[in-house]
Amino acid sequence: MRNLVLKLHIYAGLLTFTQLMIYGFAGLAATAQTAAERPKVPHTIRHTTFTPPPSVPDKEIADAVYRELKLPLTRPMPLFAIKRNADNDLQLDFYNINGIYRVVVLERENRLRIEEIRNSLAIFLEDMHATTMNDPEAPRLLRIWAFYNELAMWCLLTFVVSGLYLWLSAQARTWWAWGSFAAGTMTFAVLWMAFR
Amino acid sequence: MYTTIRSIHLLLASFSLPFLVMYGVSAVQMSHNSWFQMKPTVQERDLPLAPGQTDGRAIARDVMDRERTIKGEISNVQTSAATVSMRIVVPGTVHEVKYNAASGIAHVKTSVAGVMGMLNRLHHWAGFYREPLSAKVWALAVAIVSTALLLVGATGIYMWFTRRPERRIGLALLTINVVFAVTIMVMLRRGAP
Repeated sequence: MRNLVLKLHIYAGLLTFTQLMIYGFAGLAATAQTAAERPKVPHTIRHTTFTPPPSVPDKEIADAVYRELKLPLTRPMPLFAIKRNADNDLQLDFYNINGIYRVVVLERENRLRIEEIRNSLAIFLEDMHATTMNDPEAPRLLRIWAFYNELAMWCLLTFVVSGLYLWLSAQARTWWAWGSFAAGTMTFAVLWMAFR
Repeated sequence: MYTTIRSIHLLLASFSLPFLVMYGVSAVQMSHNSWFQMKPTVQERDLPLAPGQTDGRAIARDVMDRERTIKGEISNVQTSAATVSMRIVVPGTVHEVKYNAASGIAHVKTSVAGVMGMLNRLHHWAGFYREPLSAKVWALAVAIVSTALLLVGATGIYMWFTRRPERRIGLALLTINVVFAVTIMVMLRRGAP
């Protein structure tokens, strides 16, 4: 039995090794953040011609912009996300795993301003770790990643259970491992109570 | 060498165990929200403060001084001519405060999450910029557990490689994982459709 659980522990770990590393990096990236708000400084700005069709609602303009630009890893703009900026121009934020494509429809100039707000690698890894199968409209590549993330999530729980079993069934159960376990549990419990 | 690596693996994993359970269980909740009942307990009351205040932080301080159970990070401060509203947040508990400048009454709506809601909030809570002090201690714990997870992975790889019976299948699984994950990540980072 112990040998079987050990194999499960090892193979599950190897099959989801990269994801577990990403979870660790994501935790460190979140720790290093200095504010809840993410930086939104444009990485590149470009312009392109665009003549909005006359007498149509903002949603149709947003859909036309989406079809015209074909921005990678984005999806059609939902109605609630359509807004106007301080100059009263239509501002469309196309969110994606790498950041935001902020498209401003400059109707008087018949063109679009496209700002690419690119997330750092740390934020990218944070978002990769948070990708779930809850979003059926996500781009296919992200859904494939989400599927593997789901597997890694269950594997993480498997390690916890199998690791606990392997520790408790080992012949050499050292006092310092119990001490470490007690320290982790105490820390968690005290913080839980402090927040409650 | 093996004994030392194994000890490090065990030491880090045993410390991180409750945190990993929290991360694992809350990840299941976030991926399968419909499996869980997440309704928080809600309580509302009015607190009399001095009228005519306009500074959201001063109002929040006043609220926390008058009711000691209210504590946490101040966020979402919104001011208008007649009202100032804000949230005072700790993981699992949100106090929504709406202060009426004319009457000086602060209406406080407190939502306390259940166990799953609390796990969810803890999963998202990190960073030393957060208040109060307990949140900073939590941030330290997150940093330790994140580092531990990386080291547990690295030590696990070493221990697996020293075991001949699992080497061939393990190498195949690891290769599949690394090639797959790196390919997808590079494609996503480059914006491939």
